[in-house]
Amino acid sequence: MTAAAPTTTVTAATVPVGPVRRWIRRRRFAYMERGEMLGSLYFAVFFVAVAAALLHRQWAAVFWPARPDASMLFDAGLAAALLGALFLAMRRLGPLALSRPAVSWLLTAPVSRRRLLLPSLLVAVVGGMLAGAAAGVALVGRAGPRTAGVVAAAAGAGALSGAAVLLTALAAQARSGAATGDDVAYLILTAGLAALVADAVTDAAPPVLWPAGRAFLVAGGALAVIVVAGFTVAVRRLGTVSDERIVESSRTAGTLADAVFGVEPSFVTEMLAKRYWAGRRLRSRPLRGPGRRGLPVLVVQDVLLAARRPRRLLALAGSSAAPLLLTHAPGWLLGVAVLLGAMAAGGVTTGTVRTDTGNPWMLRLLGLDSRQAVTQRLYVPGALAALWSAAALTLLDLTHVVPGGPWWALGLTLGPVGAVAAVRRARAGFVDSGLLPLDTPMGSVSTGPVLAAVIGVEVLLLGLPTLVHLAGGDPLDWTTVLVQAVAGAGGASAYLSLTTAVDRVELSARR
Amino acid sequence: MEVDDLTVGYGSTPVLTGVSLRVARGSVVCLTGENGIGKSTLLRCVSGLQRADAGTVRVFGRSPGGTPQFWRAVVSTVEPPSWYPGLTTREHGELVCRAHGLDPDDAGIDEALDRFGLAGHADAIPASLSSGQKQRLVLALALLRPSSLLVLDEPEQRLDPDARAAVAAMLRDYRETGGTVLMAGHDDGFARAAGAEIVTVAALIGTP
Repeated sequence: MTAAAPTTTVTAATVPVGPVRRWIRRRRFAYMERGEMLGSLYFAVFFVAVAAALLHRQWAAVFWPARPDASMLFDAGLAAALLGALFLAMRRLGPLALSRPAVSWLLTAPVSRRRLLLPSLLVAVVGGMLAGAAAGVALVGRAGPRTAGVVAAAAGAGALSGAAVLLTALAAQARSGAATGDDVAYLILTAGLAALVADAVTDAAPPVLWPAGRAFLVAGGALAVIVVAGFTVAVRRLGTVSDERIVESSRTAGTLADAVFGVEPSFVTEMLAKRYWAGRRLRSRPLRGPGRRGLPVLVVQDVLLAARRPRRLLALAGSSAAPLLLTHAPGWLLGVAVLLGAMAAGGVTTGTVRTDTGNPWMLRLLGLDSRQAVTQRLYVPGALAALWSAAALTLLDLTHVVPGGPWWALGLTLGPVGAVAAVRRARAGFVDSGLLPLDTPMGSVSTGPVLAAVIGVEVLLLGLPTLVHLAGGDPLDWTTVLVQAVAGAGGASAYLSLTTAVDRVELSARR
Repeated sequence: MEVDDLTVGYGSTPVLTGVSLRVARGSVVCLTGENGIGKSTLLRCVSGLQRADAGTVRVFGRSPGGTPQFWRAVVSTVEPPSWYPGLTTREHGELVCRAHGLDPDDAGIDEALDRFGLAGHADAIPASLSSGQKQRLVLALALLRPSSLLVLDEPEQRLDPDARAAVAAMLRDYRETGGTVLMAGHDDGFARAAGAEIVTVAALIGTP
């Protein structure tokens, strides 16, 4: 092999990207196994079919109920929440991204930047418009009137709004200081969710006032003009988006693709954690707790970790109002939401457990046994789960969603339940793809991801006393609180006895 | 530390066959040999991180690995390190000190970071350090906590010449305070500077 001769002059000439892409596509098809493409397509269609078969009733109940009677407050809140969420999702994905091979080989090649990025811009615009159209239909579905004209107009307005959000996210990707845009989106999302909660606990909210046809047309036309103008500017400025931002977005998209195709959600968790800490400037703090002897060292570490995630704690505090959204839902569903919330609250600091499960090098260096380590790791998740559950149940009590009683105390007893569930989930490690698949009439389903999805969740059965009581809808007495306290503490103790040992360092018993 | 007639293979490929080795308390031994001869495999067996096909390994009179007692006496850098999210370089050092009941200031955490050229990175996340800096941090943590045996895989790797000399001096000091070191490496000069007895793995095969 001989090296190419070095060029002596630097030219601004670009290579057309179209033929390069066509050549790459031909080579990929040549290397692919026969039927591989069809197999991937079948899997995607199969996945959508199964999801639709399993969830179509639930989706219909949420977005297309039998009686469309949502209030103005609900529709405004839902619209704000969906817009905020769409913007944040697009910002996380770029929205401009390339595949990993394209980043390595084409981004660094002398090809036209605009032509290289145009396909991903079109994909992002179409994705934004589809998401926006779905949101528009959902808004009409909840609040009516459901005539064909109104549904089509709502879908069109939603699509234009989705495109506008996409173009705003694109502008944020292209310039520095985009964090302000993200903050605004978080505020819009929070305000939307708050409106939904307020609507759920308010009985007589005013109904939706639909704009007159003419006003709607004028507003829609103006939005269409803005979107077309914005799109034109975006295409012109495609070449100015910095490589660094495209590389970062492409890494995100690649990790998401890995997580989906490998059915391994921990890839995304790990990427988000790495990115969060890489962007933080920290100052070392002493790992000493209060008191003469102080708290166990891993507890102090978890306290420090939680304190370094103020936004997460704020979101957690705000989310304690989320069960109010289920005001009119059956009691058991409310119970499930509270227990899942307790597990999520406990998960704020369990990144340390995930680290030790994946590689016990630090645990060996610390010389702690697995029982000491897991016991110490349960403290902070337990406190967070207890506080979150107490706040959530107290809000349900104050808004008379649940009959009277010491709900705050019941919430506190859910601390161990949420902590054990969160820690068990963090100790699950990678999805086991070696398990026997389940045969179904439409093809085989891998059991590894299914089992991984329920690890930790099954521990929430320790919250059965709470679940049963919420399902029954009776006033709360101290006996139930006591039963729940015993179930939680007993469950945590059994978990420690069964899954840890004083003569083993590794958190996983498998060697 | 006693290794007797150790045989280890990966699948059908034998890596170590009939290896025997004695390392006396308070000595430094450096295993050398070409890539793939089994240096790291031997260190992994001594650390209890790899099961042997045949033969025995005894460390301080017991089978190695697994128990907290073993890991309170032994530090091994054979496996790649892991770092806790959201914890700075200095805090990792403090965590290690406190887990062993040491006061970080008394243990000399700041001096250790300074000696390894990490004082300017005390507030950095270890994951953001360069590979050479990570290697220094691993060695700093290994020497910061109390131990009786260090099992080090190529400790001189990714270190600049000054850092190599400093680490070699620290290993010599470690031996003088009664510690034992078993390491693998490719730099005989570094091994000699650390006061190590150099042993080639090829010579160990079939040695009684």
